Amino acid sequence: MGIYRYILFFFIIASNNIEARPISYSGGSTLMMFSDNVKDSIYYHFSPTYKYSIGIESVKDNYLNNDYSLLRATYLINRKNTQYSQRNLYINAGLSINDTSNNFYGIHGDWETRRWFVGFGFKKLNNKIIDYDQKHLQLGVAPYLGEYGDLHTWLMIKTKKNSLNDDWYTYPVLKFFKGNVLIEFGYNDETEWDAHFMYRF
Amino acid sequence: MKLIGIILFLFSSWIVASDHSHDHMDHSDMMHHSHEGHAHEELVDGEKLEVNPERFDKFVATLSNAQVAVVSVKGMVCDFCARGIEKTFQKDKNVKKIDVDLSQGKVLVAFDKGFDINFEDIKKKILANGQNATGMQVVSI
Repeated sequence: MGIYRYILFFFIIASNNIEARPISYSGGSTLMMFSDNVKDSIYYHFSPTYKYSIGIESVKDNYLNNDYSLLRATYLINRKNTQYSQRNLYINAGLSINDTSNNFYGIHGDWETRRWFVGFGFKKLNNKIIDYDQKHLQLGVAPYLGEYGDLHTWLMIKTKKNSLNDDWYTYPVLKFFKGNVLIEFGYNDETEWDAHFMYRF
Repeated sequence: MKLIGIILFLFSSWIVASDHSHDHMDHSDMMHHSHEGHAHEELVDGEKLEVNPERFDKFVATLSNAQVAVVSVKGMVCDFCARGIEKTFQKDKNVKKIDVDLSQGKVLVAFDKGFDINFEDIKKKILANGQNATGMQVVSI
């Protein structure tokens, strides 16, 4: 059982960043790629309206040498727009195409201005080996305020905890976006580098 | 980890390509800009336009026989999140040009002079991206 806990621990650490920007504009779609030393993932989602998205995620687990696919859905349950900020609250769920016992559901939210970002998330994951949950908090600041079309940069710090080890892990994240492209890098002593690429159609 | 390399390559390629395109656009706009007035100083219904002056003048520099809807939008705090607004308006064949002014929370939409601009339609398009349009001023160019 120890090895599975070890594998799942790394999987949990690696799997949070893909929650960013979970819904596109009405009729829009998004392609995401995520990679680290544990898994490579490609996730495509389509948003019939700005309220929800549906998609499919293909995962290559580098530790278990296992490939599987998840059907995923995200729903915006609350959004507050003001002149200088936006606040969002989402629920999401995913189900393995090959094995329905492999699934997850969760809630996450964020509040951001052009300068500041605060985000949180909670996710419950189930599979045949062990069920567990994870939570995270993320804070960010934009060192400069770019105009539309500029290269935008975010300096962020993320902290995570999961029910398997009960420890918080905190690490820096760098986020850049320009036009329809977003890229995010995080570094943790345990997991080393991870990267997240997103293209919005 | 190979995917990280691919990601880096894609992003750097995108930056280089878009910068080249942006530079090209800037040069052509600047040429026109020097011959234009400062339309942002115009009063609309007695109210001054709350826009980024340089961005607005650059936007209208290449326009003629047109009208520009300056739309106030709430919740437009992020470039990446505002992309859908541009994509939605670009699907409308009546739209000649569109830009986003993040600093002032405005969307600039150019139409032909004779076109009947419908604020309700604009509100729907903004809402399709998850933001709220709260007001509109129209400037003739």
